[in-house]
Amino acid sequence: MNPDPAAPQLAERSWTVALSLALRLVLALVLVGIVLQAAIVVRARPQDLITGAYGMADIIRRAMPPDFGKIDMVWWPALETIDLAIFGTLGGVILALPLAVLAAVNVSPSRWLYYTARGVIGFARAVPDLVWALLFVTAVGLGPFPGALALSVHSIGMLGRLFAETIEHMEMAPIDALTLTGAQRLQIFSHGIIPSILPSLLGIALYRFDENIRSSLVLGFVGAGGIGFELLSAMSLFQYQFVSLLLIVTFVMVIAAERLSALLRARLE
Amino acid sequence: MLRVRGLTMQYPDGKLALADFDLSIAAGELVVVLGGNGSGKTTLLRCIARMLSPTAGEIWLNDTNLAALSGERLRQARLPLAMIWQHASLVRRRRVLSNVASGALGRHGGLWTALGGLPSVERRAAYDHLNAVGLAALAGQRAGTLSGGQAQRVAIARALAQRPQVMLADEPVGSLDPEAADDIMRLLRHLATHERLAVLCVLHQVDLAYAYADRVAGIRNGKIAFDRPCEELPRDAVRQLYLSEAA
Repeated sequence: MNPDPAAPQLAERSWTVALSLALRLVLALVLVGIVLQAAIVVRARPQDLITGAYGMADIIRRAMPPDFGKIDMVWWPALETIDLAIFGTLGGVILALPLAVLAAVNVSPSRWLYYTARGVIGFARAVPDLVWALLFVTAVGLGPFPGALALSVHSIGMLGRLFAETIEHMEMAPIDALTLTGAQRLQIFSHGIIPSILPSLLGIALYRFDENIRSSLVLGFVGAGGIGFELLSAMSLFQYQFVSLLLIVTFVMVIAAERLSALLRARLE
Repeated sequence: MLRVRGLTMQYPDGKLALADFDLSIAAGELVVVLGGNGSGKTTLLRCIARMLSPTAGEIWLNDTNLAALSGERLRQARLPLAMIWQHASLVRRRRVLSNVASGALGRHGGLWTALGGLPSVERRAAYDHLNAVGLAALAGQRAGTLSGGQAQRVAIARALAQRPQVMLADEPVGSLDPEAADDIMRLLRHLATHERLAVLCVLHQVDLAYAYADRVAGIRNGKIAFDRPCEELPRDAVRQLYLSEAA
């Protein structure tokens, strides 16, 4: 009797299937291991959620109803928060734009400037805005100004990178044409690069404004002004009804900024 | 006006795109360069415009050897040399008039133009250039809304704003329908004859070359195959250019 010619292939296939299953098992075990170590490191205690529920319910009970009588005390910090985001975004755009030109490989004047600009952008992004705020509070004192500076510098990270990518993906033929007319670098920048990518730049800046509104709320916690500072003060003084009012105003501001930003970006497209 | 002597261009990968190429063109002349794909036509124009640095040779624009210059001196020396491409290469979001006026930027330094402004005298001149190419009515329109033929005319108007003595045209009708192509070639012919521009034009359309050129230069494997007035150029010689490519 002749041996089955397909037998070696079948044996090989069953080995492959077994190996694949073993690999999946190891992968699943590794994933479970990662999740477990994370739970241990953060000292996750699910029972605390149950025991803490009473405390949370108590805070919510004491925060109701929101103290609308203090609404007059909210306008100014709310305006401060919006202005922090406006200043932070504008400052970020002004600082990020020239850096982005240097950091875009297709228009950067030299490799050395390219790597330097990329480094600055990366550093601005790597340091959290809260840390920038602490640094500027130390440098220029408490209030909204250090917050605005922190947002400006931190915005360079995201704006610089996205602006540079936009420039790298732009059509280069009009830029080559302008170069051949004898236009100089700054003229090419203002007459060629900026008009070509303006809608994209505005879209990115509006998105950043939306992000900065949310960031400016947190910056208040380290003394950088705005509604976050009021929130921290009210919580320290156990004025929970005022806290809930501030949270409502915050919610309205964040949603309004998000919608406005989305609406304007849609119009630009 | 424009003289190219011994122009040689070897790319970093070793490909010899131009070999000891000679060509000259006088004011008022329209010279068409014909050749197959990859024969070195576009490399020739890019070297003359110094978008590429030739490996050897001279590019004389009047009394200046462009091949020997770089940086700011090259920018200044290149001002009398304008170039148009197959695609008009306009800034699509800018108005037609601004696109044309931007051709004059090389003559204007200073903060105003660096910040995106254009001198009013150049705006007026740009309107005249648009009038010359028959598109003054579209001055306020965005460049991105133009047809291919209109955009190429605007690119020519932008080149005129540069006040050039030499116009290089790299397949300027390559993406146009026959009627628009004829219009553009007629315009280039007019500029050569009446504005005394030296026009060097790369084409693929042999009939257009015969219809509008004073001379035709054939290029094969980076070398000049012939350089003759149209009336002395047999069609067979041109056909040979493309046959050798097919072979």
